[in-house]
Amino acid sequence: MLECRNVDAGYGKVQILHGLDFVVPTGGLSAILGSNGSGKSTAMKTVAGLVKPTSGEILLDGHRIDELGAHSMAAEGLSLVPQGKEVLAGLSVEENILVGAYHRRKDRHGVAEDLEMVYQEFPRLRTRRKAAAGLLSGGERQMLSLGRALMARPRMLLLDEPSAALAPKVVGEISDIIRKLRGRGLTMLLVEQNVSMALELADEIHILREGRFAYSRKNGPDVDIEELREFYLGKGRS
Amino acid sequence: MALLPQFLANGVVIGSSYVLVALGLTLIFGILKIVNFAHGEFYVLGGYLAVLGSQLLGFPPLPALVLVIVCMAAFGWGVERFIFLPIGKHDPTNVIIASFGLSILLQNVFLKVAGPEPMIAKSGLPAGAIRLGSVFLTSERIAIVAAAAVTVTVLLVVLRFTWVGLSLRALSENATVARISGINVRRVAVVTFMIGSSLAGLSGALMSSVFMVQPGGGVLVVMKAFIVVVMAGMGSIEGAIVAGLGLGVVEALVTGYLGSEMRDIIGFLIVIAVLAVRPQGLFGLKTERS
Ligand SMILES: Nc1ncnc2c1ncn2[C@@H]1O[C@H](COP(=O)(O)OP(=O)(O)OP(=O)(O)O)[C@@H](O)[C@H]1O
Ligand SMILES: [Mg+2]
Repeated sequence: MLECRNVDAGYGKVQILHGLDFVVPTGGLSAILGSNGSGKSTAMKTVAGLVKPTSGEILLDGHRIDELGAHSMAAEGLSLVPQGKEVLAGLSVEENILVGAYHRRKDRHGVAEDLEMVYQEFPRLRTRRKAAAGLLSGGERQMLSLGRALMARPRMLLLDEPSAALAPKVVGEISDIIRKLRGRGLTMLLVEQNVSMALELADEIHILREGRFAYSRKNGPDVDIEELREFYLGKGRS
Repeated sequence: MALLPQFLANGVVIGSSYVLVALGLTLIFGILKIVNFAHGEFYVLGGYLAVLGSQLLGFPPLPALVLVIVCMAAFGWGVERFIFLPIGKHDPTNVIIASFGLSILLQNVFLKVAGPEPMIAKSGLPAGAIRLGSVFLTSERIAIVAAAAVTVTVLLVVLRFTWVGLSLRALSENATVARISGINVRRVAVVTFMIGSSLAGLSGALMSSVFMVQPGGGVLVVMKAFIVVVMAGMGSIEGAIVAGLGLGVVEALVTGYLGSEMRDIIGFLIVIAVLAVRPQGLFGLKTERS
């Protein structure tokens, strides 16, 4: 379970997030929607320890994580798939996957097992495992980034716009994987601009506008996509 | 033409020392994004430590080198921890200025402690030249090449096949991805700095039995190292090896056939030519901006 309690955060003197407050229950999947610059990635980076909150608390399974640095999160069971399909371009595909297991490098057997699991999940990564990651296509890079995050054996996965700038077929593949991970009980927080994808996958929908939640609701038949769009575009009332 | 093999051999000897110095510089730049202008003085310090170990303490060659490596690693740790880290906290570009200052400070410390007289280390190796085919080399010079080859091989193996190496390369590629993967940037920074300064010190120590050690000796060395690093592509390990040996060989050929006046100019001419054709250096990847 991830709990964000009244979190303020920003860059230097500029405050971006204002009192962000939400919970992702264990095994649940919450989505954060919002237009460009609304603070979605800042929220993800704050949870992942890349940005330090100026006030509030973040807890993972009841345990404070907001005072740890980003490098401790993997060991805490939290993995981030950052926006922009970021990979270690000059390193091989296999090295990119392995680096995700850095905190449990002593567990040779487990690491080898999980590498095999990632290759089974993403067969294209296996065929390209010796290639430099910078040479991969956008879709392959997104898979690689996901594979790297899974190598940490997370309990909580943060996905920042996994469907951005990908062909519809690849977006479908990513959705399938997210569904599969959720079937295994992984707790997830998903940032998207793709409203239909979020509606398809999430139990709970939040809309972020200028660093505040303008809308938070359980996903269900009563969620009106038109109303969502209005909030999304910033016309709706909170 | 009969002298060509001898010139090439001399070039490989000098080139080996360039490789070691440039590797330290390029590692520190690639991973920490620190341009360390004091790197030449690290080289000189290694030379003085070798003089200390071999002359004053009477150590045999190998323990003297171990002494240099251990002291230089500790020195690198201290410099990173107490100078570059606090100064770089507010603005990373301050570190460049700080490294200039450190360079001048160290030159004056050398002058004060060791004096202006050039010194030479006792290698403890058998005297006299050894003949390899048509090439004559002293055992010290052969030792330089051998030690550089061993060091570079170990470094490449560590970088390529160990978790420590993976963490160093990951950080040099993308600090955010490295951090969220569980890599402690602070720890890697310290390790990198320790390795980098050991490499500079080792090079200075190896060269100290062939060339004089003197307080201002680092200035030309750091220039040469920058030529190698820029020519190779900032941060490129393999590139630094090729470019370092290449620069040594070209300088030896120029000295042999054109005279020593041209020796220290040729490197600059080459680096300008390389950058005109390939701005990212011979082995540098074109950086993409998305
Ligand atoms: N590293 C940074 N330093 C300073 N300001 C930043 C930084 N990163 C983002 N910002 C600012 O914070 C605000 C929120 O940015 P953020 O990246 O969180 O938005 P986002 O909702 O993820 O947008 P997008 O949909 O484009 O990814 C923006 O105004 C942005 O300019
Ligand atoms: Mg974003």
